[in-house]
Amino acid sequence: MRLLTHNMLSCNIKGVTNGYPLTIEASKWMAKEVDFNGDFLRNIFVKIEWKVLIEAAKVMGYTDLPVEVDSSMLNSDEFLQKFHHALLEIHVEEGALICPETGRKFPVHKGIPNMLLNEDEV
Amino acid sequence: MFSDSLIRSFTARSSRIKRIFSSISSRDFRCWETSRLVGMEVDQGQFAKDLHSSNEKSRIEDDCCVSVQSTPEIEKKFVHHVYDAIAPHFSSTRFAKWPKVAAFLNNLSSGSVVLDAGCGNGKYLGFNPECFFIGCDISPPLIGICAGRDHEVLVADAVNLPYRDGFGDAAISIAVLHHLSTESRRKKAIEELIRVVKKGGLVLITVWAVEQENRSLVTKWTPLSIEYEEEWISSSIPVPPRLSSEIFLESIPEIEDDGGSLRDKDKPRSDMDVDFRDHNEKKNSGDGKIGENQQEYFVPWHLPYHQAEINASASAIATGFARKDDKKGALVFNRYYHVFAEGELQRIVSGVANAIIVDKFYDKSNWCIVLKKK
Repeated sequence: MRLLTHNMLSCNIKGVTNGYPLTIEASKWMAKEVDFNGDFLRNIFVKIEWKVLIEAAKVMGYTDLPVEVDSSMLNSDEFLQKFHHALLEIHVEEGALICPETGRKFPVHKGIPNMLLNEDEV
Repeated sequence: MFSDSLIRSFTARSSRIKRIFSSISSRDFRCWETSRLVGMEVDQGQFAKDLHSSNEKSRIEDDCCVSVQSTPEIEKKFVHHVYDAIAPHFSSTRFAKWPKVAAFLNNLSSGSVVLDAGCGNGKYLGFNPECFFIGCDISPPLIGICAGRDHEVLVADAVNLPYRDGFGDAAISIAVLHHLSTESRRKKAIEELIRVVKKGGLVLITVWAVEQENRSLVTKWTPLSIEYEEEWISSSIPVPPRLSSEIFLESIPEIEDDGGSLRDKDKPRSDMDVDFRDHNEKKNSGDGKIGENQQEYFVPWHLPYHQAEINASASAIATGFARKDDKKGALVFNRYYHVFAEGELQRIVSGVANAIIVDKFYDKSNWCIVLKKK
């Protein structure tokens, strides 16, 4: 699971109003090189909840992202490289995503989150 | 393995159901939907006989006590379990890219985030290299196959997408909604697709049509007359636990011929899985209830013996999910379909707030619609 995906995931248990962002618990992660695409990064930047990305990257030990960002930084190649790495190259392989409201853990196994709910959660 | 005595012991009506298999986490069910299949041809062993032995006729109320996001029995048994069992074989037959879907994806602007809800084996993931695809499917084995191809995927339910609002630039639902057994679930899935794309985002939905181009195909399907009971009862047949996805992840080479179907690899067809070898199969006999408005069907899937995983197959047969066809050397599974009538997609969409129709068409026995989020 890449952090781009994590940035979008939310707990959908019935009645939960505060299910985003999911906290990452990672027992295994890795970095996999991905082709750099500046245009893609500039396009997706507006969708990203920046604080969520920073916190997620921190779990995997990546702390190079600037805390404050604005769109002018999209002209900086150095910034884009860091953004690229955090968003697309860090993969959570094993662990869990934890709902901030209920504490429910959604497992991540072989890089695949399982977000299916139990019968009593729908 | 599920013994006959175990199956028979599960016939009592009770007000709350507890799963009896320890391999899955115990769940308390609020409601349990049971389908009563009337008029179905009996060639499915004890399982089928149990299901349609009842003469009860109670109308469905779509908006009963059951949450629209709760999976009905018929989908657990005849969609989820079947796809889990046939995943590698199914995936090997899903390679042709449908031109209409290809065109939709190619027309998206560069850098678009595309959400594929019900992505199956991930056939369309990464199709447009300028876009970023995120796929989800309810079948862990199918998702395992996608992940093996390095796609960004997760296991999730199309009726309840675990995505925050408005993230996607576009969404696709290719041959998915016809596996949902109530209109409220089909509508909910459409609402979810609209919810997860941005304002102005596009959604492409394709579903099997009542109006099949190849009429002889329909004769190989089993028409169903489904009466649902939504109440606090136990199923007469327990649902076996979902089998471990590990079982199904052996790689099977992509083959043109799945053991019998005469499919031309170069000619993209709609997502259908017909075995054209069987010309002797009896026509499905209705019992008078099945009329020209027939939209509910079981569509067979033939899983060649050499493709079937032994333990999974044995349990599928034991629990009545599949039958053996020695003549064809295959296990036969039934998949539940609600095929769509002309105008049906439009009618449902008209009840979805903030969705407008930008295109609608019929292509290769599928009804298709393109929506835009207001």
